[in-house]
This record gives sequence, C-alpha cells and structure tokens, in this order.
Amino acid sequence: MGWVVRGWCIIICLWVCVPGMVMAEQEHACLTCHANKDIWDGASKQLLVDKDIFESSVHAVLECTACHRSVEGSRHPAEKPAPITSQICTDCHAVTGKLHRDRLAKGGLTCIDCHGSHGIQPIAKQQETCLGCHAHEMNMKLDDGSFASVKVDAQAMKGSVHAGLRCVDCHFGYSSKDHPQRHFKNKRELTLTMTDTCQRCHYDKYSQTLESIHFNMNRKGNDKTPLCVDCHGSHAIQSGRAEKLVSARRCQNCHADIYAAYTTSVHGEALVSDHNQDVPICSDCHTAHTIKDPNKAEFRNNVPEMCGNCHADEKLMKKYGLTTAVLTSYLEDFHGVTLSFYKDEKALRHIAVCTDCHGIHDITPTKGDHAVLLKNNLLTRCQKCHPDATANFPDSWISHYEPDLQRAPLVYLVIVFYKFFIPFMIVGLILQIFLHLWRYAVNR
Amino acid sequence: MIVRLHRLRLVEHWVFAAVFTMLVVTGLAQRFHTQAWAQWTVNALGGIDTMRAVHRSGGIVCTLLLAQHLLVGICGILFLHWRPSMMINKKDFTDAIHNLRYYFGKTPTPARCDRYDYKQKFEYWGVVFGGLLMAATGLILWFPTLVFKLAPFLPGQVIAAARVAHSNESMLALLVIVTWHIYNAVFSPEVFPLDTTIFTGKISRERMLHEHPLELERLEQPSSDELR
Repeated sequence: MGWVVRGWCIIICLWVCVPGMVMAEQEHACLTCHANKDIWDGASKQLLVDKDIFESSVHAVLECTACHRSVEGSRHPAEKPAPITSQICTDCHAVTGKLHRDRLAKGGLTCIDCHGSHGIQPIAKQQETCLGCHAHEMNMKLDDGSFASVKVDAQAMKGSVHAGLRCVDCHFGYSSKDHPQRHFKNKRELTLTMTDTCQRCHYDKYSQTLESIHFNMNRKGNDKTPLCVDCHGSHAIQSGRAEKLVSARRCQNCHADIYAAYTTSVHGEALVSDHNQDVPICSDCHTAHTIKDPNKAEFRNNVPEMCGNCHADEKLMKKYGLTTAVLTSYLEDFHGVTLSFYKDEKALRHIAVCTDCHGIHDITPTKGDHAVLLKNNLLTRCQKCHPDATANFPDSWISHYEPDLQRAPLVYLVIVFYKFFIPFMIVGLILQIFLHLWRYAVNR
Repeated sequence: MIVRLHRLRLVEHWVFAAVFTMLVVTGLAQRFHTQAWAQWTVNALGGIDTMRAVHRSGGIVCTLLLAQHLLVGICGILFLHWRPSMMINKKDFTDAIHNLRYYFGKTPTPARCDRYDYKQKFEYWGVVFGGLLMAATGLILWFPTLVFKLAPFLPGQVIAAARVAHSNESMLALLVIVTWHIYNAVFSPEVFPLDTTIFTGKISRERMLHEHPLELERLEQPSSDELR
C-alpha cells in the first residue's frame, strides 16, 4: 500500500507545482541576464531590471513578453527587440483626455517617459508622472492673454517641508481623472483657486486666518491680500519658523515702508545686522495668521501685554541689561490703570500705551544718545492726547523707575512721609481709644 | 437739652458724609484696581470713564462745601462776632497732656474743655487741611497740563507727587474716620449707642457738664452772647 500512497503524493505535487514552475521559469529566464547590473546595450543604456521594483509595480502580474512582445527566446539576444511604443500601452489603457491625445499625436514623448516602465505605479502614487512634463519649462495661457509658468522646480520641492507629499496631495483635482484643462482669468485667479488646498491639512491655521484683516479685505473683494502661498511659497515651501529675517521679509512685499522703518528700529537693526533671533519680527506682534487690524482698540489695548512678552521676561532682559519693571511701572500708573479697565470694557477710547511714547515700528533704543532723542520727542507725543501740554509736562511721567531721591525726590519724599505718618496716626489714635476705654472701665 | 449746632451745620455734615462715602468707593476702586471687587464696582458704575466723572463731580461738591464752610466761618468771626471756638490754643496741648495723665490715673479729674475739646479740634483741622490737600491734588490730577501753564516753573514730578499724595491722604482720611470718628460718635461709652447731636443739633446738659464744662458755665451766665 505504501508505494501507492507515495506515488499519488508525487503525482499531486507535480500537478500542482509544474505549471507554476514553468511560468516562473519564463521570468527567471529573462532575469538570468537582466538582473545583472553589468548588462548594457552599448555604453549608454543599462538593461537592468530590478526584480523588487517590478514586483511592487502595478504590472507585477504581467509577464515580460506582455509588453516586450517581439522578444522570442530562440532569436534573443542576437536579434534586438523592437522599442516599447505608446501603442503597446494604449492596447490596454484607452486614451480619452484631450491633453493625452494631443501629446501623443505630437510624438516625441511616449507613455513611459512620464509614467515610468518597470516600476510603474498608480498615477496617484507617482511624483514622476507629473514631473515628466512639469519639470520642463512650460507655460499656461490665461484668459487675459498672459502666460503663467507651470514649471515645478523638482529640486526645490525635494528640499521643502513638503518633500514627502505627492503632487496630487495638493493638486487634488488631478488625481483620479484625466488631467483636466483649466481656465483662469489671470494669474491671481489661479492662486486664489488653489489656496483652498492648504486647509485640507492646516485647518487650524486656516481657521485663524478667518479672523484676520487680510481675509476680511479679501472677502470685500481685494484680491491682493496675501494668501497662504504669498507668504509661504508654493513648491519650495519652508518651515515658518526657520529664520526670522526671512519671515520678516515676507511682509515687506506689500508693507515696504513699514519694513523700512522697522529696519531702522532697535529691533530691526539687530535682526538685519546681527541676525539676532531674540528680537520681535512682524509676526511676533501682529501674529502670523490671526492678524488683527492694528488701528482697532482691541489691538491697541493689548500692546503692553504684547511688549511684556519679552520685556517682562527676566532672563531675556538680563541678557540686554534691561529692566523688567517697564511693564509693572506702566500698569501701576494712571495710563496703565485706565488701560486695564478699558480692556475689560472693550472701550473704544484710546489711552497711551508703549508705542505712543516709544514709537511703533521705529522703536529707538532708550540708552545713550537715543535717550535724549526720546525725551525730546516726548512732548510732541504727549501733545497728541494733551494738546496744551507744555515743556515740563512730559516729566510728570517719572519714567519706568521706582521714584528715589535722585530721579524724583518730591515723589519719593511724599511716599516716605505717608509710609510713616499713616501708621503713626492710626496707631496713636487706636491707643487713645484703648486708654479712654480703660479709664472708663476703671472709673466704673 | 441745649442747642449745640445750627441746622445748616447738620445738613453740611450729612452732605459731606454722603459725598465722602461716594468718593471713598469710587476712589478705592481706582487705587485697588486689580481686585475683583474694584472691577465689579467700576462695571456697576458704568465703566472707568463714567466712574471718574462721578468721582470728580463728588470732588467738586466737597471742594465747594469746604470753601463755603471756611467762608461762612471767616465771615461769621469777622462780621457777626462769632467766637472763634475752633482755633487751636495753648490750652488744647495742656488739656491733651492732662487727659493723658488722667487716663494713667495720675490726676483724679479729666481736663475741663470749652465748646470744642482738643480731640474735636484735631479732627476738624484734619478734615479742613486734608480736604484742601485732596482738592488741590485732585485738581492737579484732573487738569495736569493746566498746572504747568499756570506755573511753568514747577517740575514735572508734581503730577506724580500729587498722585501719591492724593492716594495716601485719602487712605489716612478713611482710616481716621473709621477708627477715631466712628468710635467717638458711636462706640465711645459716653455716647453709646449713638451720639444723636448730629441728628437733632441738641445735647444734654449732663453731657455738657462732662464734656464742655467751660462752655456750659458761659452759657449759664446771663452775659452769654452768641451761640452757633
């Protein structure tokens, strides 16, 4: 009995394995030579087929001869096979879109020039598909007669924070269908149409922009207000926190005069000449996305807190020999007290904040020669709110220092007087009361 | 009962008490602006601008009240032959020392005082000078630019000094009122539960005998000439 069972086992095994072995044999036959790195056609064309890449491709199920139809075992390699033409592809893949038809009719490029050959992937997974055309200098005609370049700098794209993304992640209208032809009135309309794409990942930032002055102006029909790509760039997009100077210059495109004033300020100068990364840039005060109208009370009333972000930071101010008392001394003074209430009330009336004395974008240093300049300018600045202020008036603000005998003797003496006088009086009077009560009790 | 105060003096006292209370509330809310109750008060009074307007109006009322009081007093003394009973004299100091000795049991009887004893004079002049200081510093803070127009020689720091003076003087005034004045008018065993003179204008003969014996003697002499 044993040999009958063994015999059947062998027959069944052969029946199952042989067809597979024959199929595998054909590929193996090709790869016997083509898996070799040293296989070249002449000096320029390497004939290597990477088995792993092929097996991960969508065409892994196909046999080599499905595409390389003219290869016949007996005559190969003596007889060279015919080159792969687009027609081989179109036998299976119908060409429907105008763009493809035009491109194929024009000749020159074949399907594999864009889509690749052995490593072919679904279009949505393949960067090279798009770059097949868009890596070259090419322009798109717009309705206004102008041209917009649709070339993509592949190198810059690879160096960007979006290097891991595929084209269709942003250009999502192009993934599943044939490449649509689009019409735009002008270049700005093209950008405006594309701008929705960023919110698909950066929804938090997008929702912040909804409150911004830029978005609101855009809503009202101003198409010049910046969109994501105007500040961040498109394909060569970099991290927003990379380098402060780069970030500040983004605003310069539209706000050139303000940027110029900023570069003369104590902050801007340190940024431009020393690349100081501690100084505030545009977005530190105005924020990057929630940019509010700086002429509104809501923004103004927040200024001391804003400056305090750095100027009340003990560690940071120590580095520059500055005092952190600037914020507290302001908040304790008449203007600061008023401001704290205005903030609660969301009042529209203005009260002097840091920028009213120190300047807005052209903030000067407060030491050395600048101190004199600042002081000289102070009267005009006071007069903005106190039109009849005279020469001595600015001194009524005894600066950001605790009053002492040198700087403000009168104020200092008044404080010291009451510091002793109030306890002296009250303790004295309470003692009198107790003595009076005591005597009354004793007499009874 | 003996008539001690003219009806107008009673009105004067209660108007002043009302405005003083209002000034204290609106002033404290500014001094302790970081406190929750201060913010609540400011909101309840319609915001800081409105509250300051109220505070300044109260200041004007107090200033006018003080001015008319001094004017009436001076005119009364000069033209109506009122006795300048509020004037501080040497006896006030000796009375004070005498009473201190009395409290410690060194003398058997307290000082014999006239119409106003030294404690009352102390409080009166405290209110007058404190009031003048509050009015002056308040006006300086209200019209800071005017100060330098009228007196260009003044240093800028007078504004800052006026601010600390206004704030500290008000604290002193408040503390004196809530301790000393309330004790003497309400809790002192001699008047407890309440000194009603400020409501009725009258005082008992018995209290006069204890507290103002010299005035009582004069009143009961046929030649007593004036009373106010």
